[in-house]
Amino acid sequence: MDMSVASLSHAIQSSDFFTAVRQSELFYPAVLATHLTCIAIFGGMILMTDLRLLNLAFRHTPASVVIESMRVWKRIGFVIMIGCGVLLAGSHLDKYYPNPYFQLKLSLLVVTGIHGLIFHRSVYYNAGLDRDGRLPVRAAVAGGTSLVLWLSIMTCGRWIAYYDDPHAIARLVRGLLRLV
Amino acid sequence: MSVEILLIQTYDPSTNPMNTVEWLFAAMECVHIGSFALSVGTIAMVDMSLLGAGVKGRSPAQILRATELWTMAGLMIVISAGLAIFSSDPLRYYYSPTFRFKMWALLAGIVFNYTIHRRVALSGSSPAVARITGAVSLIIWITVIFCGLFFSFTAGGY
Repeated sequence: MDMSVASLSHAIQSSDFFTAVRQSELFYPAVLATHLTCIAIFGGMILMTDLRLLNLAFRHTPASVVIESMRVWKRIGFVIMIGCGVLLAGSHLDKYYPNPYFQLKLSLLVVTGIHGLIFHRSVYYNAGLDRDGRLPVRAAVAGGTSLVLWLSIMTCGRWIAYYDDPHAIARLVRGLLRLV
Repeated sequence: MSVEILLIQTYDPSTNPMNTVEWLFAAMECVHIGSFALSVGTIAMVDMSLLGAGVKGRSPAQILRATELWTMAGLMIVISAGLAIFSSDPLRYYYSPTFRFKMWALLAGIVFNYTIHRRVALSGSSPAVARITGAVSLIIWITVIFCGLFFSFTAGGY
């Protein structure tokens, strides 16, 4: 199983396209910089939406209006981010796939998808969310968990770069088992 | 005496916790990224509004008033974290043209944000002026971020 993931990863990163991305002196840092810019602009909007749901920012504008207005921008940001992510990870997939922080980051992205589904109707597509001027508790729960999830994803992203021992976690688990 | 010689003689980065505590540098980078999302992100929301695509039914002035404290907090945190990162190896940054350009762009961004950008957002200028101001602001801040990333690709050891 593991070998097939390894060979698949290698095949993907060895394709002409990803080889060109990897070997380009300017393209790779440019994609990384675009990734960071998206964190600033669209990540900032996620932050502010979460803070609104927590009733900490934008108190004079209904949360439903803030969510609705940011939606198009967050979608555009999401598409650019995924594009950057495919280019960055795809061109170094040999190195990325065994990296536990990369795996954790992808898992957390799946969790944010589930988070979005859970609060889809009750919060994010609820035009009457705070019509009476009061935010329901579930809005704060949605905003708070979203905030924690995205900060964790950002932290995992940074930690990917500092991880260089593919067997560290396996060794840790074996060490712990030996203690027991 | 030149700044570099003064620095070499008076400051030894090898004892800086940023270099001795394994996780601290990466953690500080995370604080840096999170807080630029807060500062640049809130400024970008005002920019979008100036460009005519902000929060529905809210003027640039209202968005500015709603976000200015967060922008200020974000800028203070991002600069503090930046100073900590800088302290890990000051000469590497000092000698990097990319880093110097980033600092000029950052200064321009802050000055622009608290002068022209602020005045235009609050006064409800003509759409053309508002659009140009929003675009210039976005361009300056994107430049700052690009320089930050390109620094690590251009600055080797010295």
